[in-house]
Amino acid sequence: SSNEHKLNFKKSKEACLSYIQDALLQKQWKRAAEFLTCYVESLEKDYSREHIGPSEMIWRIGTEIFWHHSQRRMKEFSCFMEQMKTLGVKRYLKVCLEHVFHLLYNGQIDEAYQNLSLAESWRFGEQTAIQDKEIKLIQAYRGLLDYCSWSKQKKILLEHGEDGFADLTVEQEMHGYFRKAAVNLKEIIKIPGVWDVFVKCYVDLLEFYGEHNEARQVLNDYAYNSKFPANPNAHVYLYQFLKRQGESKKSLISALKILHDIVPSHELMIDFNTMLQKSKKRKKRQLGLEVIFAALDYAGWKENAKAWSRLARQVKQIVISEKHLDWIKKEWNSRKDWWPDFHFSRYLAKRNWQENKSLSYEKALVAGILLGKDCKYFKYVSHQGCKVRLKRFRMLKKFVTRHNPVYLRISG
Amino acid sequence: MEFPAALFPSFFTAGPPREEGGPAPVAGWGEHGQVLEAGPGRRQAQPAFVPRRGAPGERWEAAEAAAVPVLLPRAGCWIPSPAPQDILYRSGLCRKLQAGKCGATLDFAKQLGHFFVDHPEDAFGSLGRLLHKNFYLGNAKLKRPARNSTIRMTALVEDIDRLEARRGCPRQHLASRLRWFSHLCRDWLFEVPLGLLADCLHEELAQHWSSLLFDDSLTGGALAWLPPQDGGTPVGRLVHPGGQAMNHLYFQDVVLEELPHTQGLPAQFELSGCIRQVAAARVDGQDFVGVRSDYHCGVWRVPGKTGAAPTPLQVIRTDVPASCLTVSPHLPGELSVCTQSGTVYLWSVETGLQQLRHDPQTMFFRDHSPWRWSDFTAHPRVLSCADRTGLQCLDARAPKRCHFDLFKVGEEAGCQQGERVVLPMYLGRAHPSQYLVTTQFSMYVLDERLPLVPVLKWAHMMKAPPLFAHLMPGKPGRNHKVVLGASRTQELLLLQYRDSFWGVSSGGSQSACQLAGTPQKLHSIAGSLQHLPTQLPHRHHLLQQRLSAPAAGLAATLQENGPHKSMLIFQLSEAGDVFCQRLFHKATQPPAPPSRDEATTAPVPSPAAVLRYRRWLRALSRAWKEPPQHTWPPSLSQRRLFTRRDLEEPAGPSSLQKQMRQRLRQTMQEGGRVQRWEPLALQPPPLPQTLELAGGPDPLSNRLTAAWAGDWDQWWEERTSFSVAQRQRALRERRRRQKRARGRRSLPASFTSSLTYQSELSELSDAGPSLLSPGRPPVLSQEGSPPAGSPPVRSHPPSPAPDEALLSSQSLRCRGIPKERRKTLRDYLSVWAEGPPEPPELPGSQASQLCFPSSQSQLSSASQPLRKRPRMGF
Repeated sequence: SSNEHKLNFKKSKEACLSYIQDALLQKQWKRAAEFLTCYVESLEKDYSREHIGPSEMIWRIGTEIFWHHSQRRMKEFSCFMEQMKTLGVKRYLKVCLEHVFHLLYNGQIDEAYQNLSLAESWRFGEQTAIQDKEIKLIQAYRGLLDYCSWSKQKKILLEHGEDGFADLTVEQEMHGYFRKAAVNLKEIIKIPGVWDVFVKCYVDLLEFYGEHNEARQVLNDYAYNSKFPANPNAHVYLYQFLKRQGESKKSLISALKILHDIVPSHELMIDFNTMLQKSKKRKKRQLGLEVIFAALDYAGWKENAKAWSRLARQVKQIVISEKHLDWIKKEWNSRKDWWPDFHFSRYLAKRNWQENKSLSYEKALVAGILLGKDCKYFKYVSHQGCKVRLKRFRMLKKFVTRHNPVYLRISG
Repeated sequence: MEFPAALFPSFFTAGPPREEGGPAPVAGWGEHGQVLEAGPGRRQAQPAFVPRRGAPGERWEAAEAAAVPVLLPRAGCWIPSPAPQDILYRSGLCRKLQAGKCGATLDFAKQLGHFFVDHPEDAFGSLGRLLHKNFYLGNAKLKRPARNSTIRMTALVEDIDRLEARRGCPRQHLASRLRWFSHLCRDWLFEVPLGLLADCLHEELAQHWSSLLFDDSLTGGALAWLPPQDGGTPVGRLVHPGGQAMNHLYFQDVVLEELPHTQGLPAQFELSGCIRQVAAARVDGQDFVGVRSDYHCGVWRVPGKTGAAPTPLQVIRTDVPASCLTVSPHLPGELSVCTQSGTVYLWSVETGLQQLRHDPQTMFFRDHSPWRWSDFTAHPRVLSCADRTGLQCLDARAPKRCHFDLFKVGEEAGCQQGERVVLPMYLGRAHPSQYLVTTQFSMYVLDERLPLVPVLKWAHMMKAPPLFAHLMPGKPGRNHKVVLGASRTQELLLLQYRDSFWGVSSGGSQSACQLAGTPQKLHSIAGSLQHLPTQLPHRHHLLQQRLSAPAAGLAATLQENGPHKSMLIFQLSEAGDVFCQRLFHKATQPPAPPSRDEATTAPVPSPAAVLRYRRWLRALSRAWKEPPQHTWPPSLSQRRLFTRRDLEEPAGPSSLQKQMRQRLRQTMQEGGRVQRWEPLALQPPPLPQTLELAGGPDPLSNRLTAAWAGDWDQWWEERTSFSVAQRQRALRERRRRQKRARGRRSLPASFTSSLTYQSELSELSDAGPSLLSPGRPPVLSQEGSPPAGSPPVRSHPPSPAPDEALLSSQSLRCRGIPKERRKTLRDYLSVWAEGPPEPPELPGSQASQLCFPSSQSQLSSASQPLRKRPRMGF
């Protein structure tokens, strides 16, 4: 019968959990809290081998209820969290980290910092791989908060510096923060991962103290280490750093070229295109055309007026000079079977005309050159433009008609 | 769309998942995950942080106490699919065994017994007839001369009964008489060799069981909502399957009022297979609707104008069941199709099919499931393909060279062991480069610009894997809403996420993806049971069964009526019912007082809803009252197949008939065949040369020939002495072919990989487009030219659609023709259909077309003229 009792206890535990779950999913926090007080009993006979045991469940459910139900009474919440930390040794760091997140989210930076320091000094036997990661994160967030304090001090110093008043203690304090932050931030960004915030902060620190070489090293590692995920931001940060350093066009272009290779739809492609366009080398200008064509392949760029005007300008230049028509032809070849439907349908002509006249002007120019003067998009837009007597649309019509043979050469 | 300036921190490790997993009932609660410094907040005194999860979301409250039916149930009974208790073995002994975790035991013997009792003709037909004199069924003792050659069955039956009574007894011994009898007859008594029959049955049962555990054929859902055009009247269109076999496709106009209601009659199409998925996308103001059944995929176009009729565009046929059909949101008339053999096609209505990948193996590690999925991405020429192990994106212009991994079940995304992809979905309407991937444990949001690392991950805690998902994009700066739906448990979960928390206007750039608010459970169809009027107990039971049928689809829409925002969610069940619920948006208020819970919806439905329930129930009971067709004894009346004139006895053979008979006899004597009936004027089109003739005539022709020649007895002798081994071989061969065609689910992985699938779609078409009549959607052919060996021109007149529809399993089932007779009937009809020049007349019940007479059986008619024999693949 003891077996039966155990089974029943298990059953009622499960039933209770499902009631709680139901209440939570229907935002009935009070009901959930009442059931949770019953569920706490399940801790007494915790024989479960499931990977989420009752103590973790209580922590998760309790936290969720506190978030929504307690009108953010932080004191009670902190008390609950302290209890939860002692419930399971293996989960101590995780609960600490979550507690810190909650404090940070609620603007209690100092409490968060205290908690981080406490958690960092916690030691219990051998650490599992997950705990190892958690302790690294705790250190990193502490570094981040140190950085925040540092930048606060920096601000004070700079403001007062203008008044000609420099406080030595502020400067010393600031330097202390720098050291603490740098140590921790440096550690985390060695491990493969996405550390945008930490990298940014660390580079900011290094740059402030003039350690540009190390900053460059850090950014290069972050961008090019193959163990790290292909994070576009890593390349963006490197590019921005190079730009701040006043690096040569060549190195900027090569940084953006890699970004182009991994994310052809990145918004920096406009800058890249501008840079390439200004270049005197033919190859670079051809790459510029490639970049803008590639960007406009993406759905997110469909109505990007800036990109269309770039393309229109370049295509126009090529047509007028009648040099390098083969560049256009090469790009157009892989697109001619789907760009007309994707960009230059009659429906889009109507909508673009209604919503953004200058976009429809640029697109009509491109359409007129690539598809000839009989293309639906060009015809509709130029007709509408002439109807409202806009001069530039008349010019556009003239231009396209004059250069109509180009279309035959491109598509041939 | 700009890339977030900073992403939430996360570790990145490659390799297989390390975390031991399992269903975790509360794993999604109480976690912020990570925090990120928000905003350009350098100006503020203190940095502000935003969490990955836990920021407040929008408040949506249900308007009704339960979901409300949208459509009235149609006539015709819904036949529930088998329940676990139908195919599982239940006895005390077995329960004890199961306690030792031996898994489910299929009640194989019971099913075999059912087959023998229900279909004796098929089980023992020929020998039974030959031997029936030697079996005695009476109670009396047998007399001396008869006893030598007759068995008394009564004693055997008594023995069997006794055995049955002792079932489960560990000491049961077979009665010696039974053992003796089975030993004697096992090898020859059965029409189908017993071992083989048992093999097939067991396999079938195992398949039923696995589909009961998880049926992935419904992935994506068979319900689509075509929203009203901008600025138009609030009339949208619901595209849903219906009919007893779910083989009718309906386009129903629905008016979005307080309680959405239907308007007018739906446009209806009869298809030749059960509809598994309905996918829709709007391109250039037109809706394109893709419909997937097991062996056919079709695409319809619905023009933007309200009330415009949907037009079928094209149909493709596959040899292996298709597992996915998605419609391109970028280009009109483009779709992607996957089949269970691991092939991915880009299907364009204009240019046809392009095979992007063919790989029966899974991508990242070995998994036995043949399920494949594919969807579109931000680049119209780049498609994603998925199997249970992850997602890859490939460029349709160079699919072999240009591809990258988007998602892997592994440590990269922090997956658990045993986690598998259930449903990927392109979130393009919310964000052009984002993707949703659901597994049985979690939901992930991925950004294709940062592959492998999910920008959002959350344990969804649903009891069954989410097979359906629907996105409702929010306006810039607002939350996007996603509804996840499970099939078996009918769960619906509403989630909110956002990809910009600083707002575009405040000068901030795009920011990392966040989950907002708490997940919210929505009403399921089954939940409306308690609000329906009380029924008689047995009716209540039937009603309960119907309402808790597994969900088959999900659709949702946002509606803005001035300041009032609301959300409508439609849910489809396997019984064909569509229920809907409305949620109202509550403007942000100060946090609710702690004493009161948020769920303060009225516990009773509104009067309008009550009325709706009543009407629905009335229609349902009317449908029940109609005598269910399947209880009639299975019979086939010739009258329904032939017109009276066909059956009429001619007064006497006309001279032409005499002439023909003579010619026929002569030809048969010569062993030749009648190539062309004379006079030619009567029969202009020459009969196509069927390939069957080359390999010897089929059994029916054999038999007819023998009968004609008068030596039918001899033929029968030959047939019965046809060695068992040969029959077994033939049957095995057939079974193997069928199996291959069906694509197996339960094969071990090593097995699947060794199977080589024949190239699919090969039988699609070997006729040129010249054959296609303008009214029919053209059928695509994989290779443009007819295969070698077939006659260059097939001038077989396009056979009428009903012929084909008549032969489809569904329509035969509707007609109450039992499964095992369908083949006979098909064979019979197919032979007959090749012969006479005139199409058979429509049986009365075939005229089910309501609105579009020309579009009946589009799918089947499209592929019809091209087949050698008008027999369907299933």
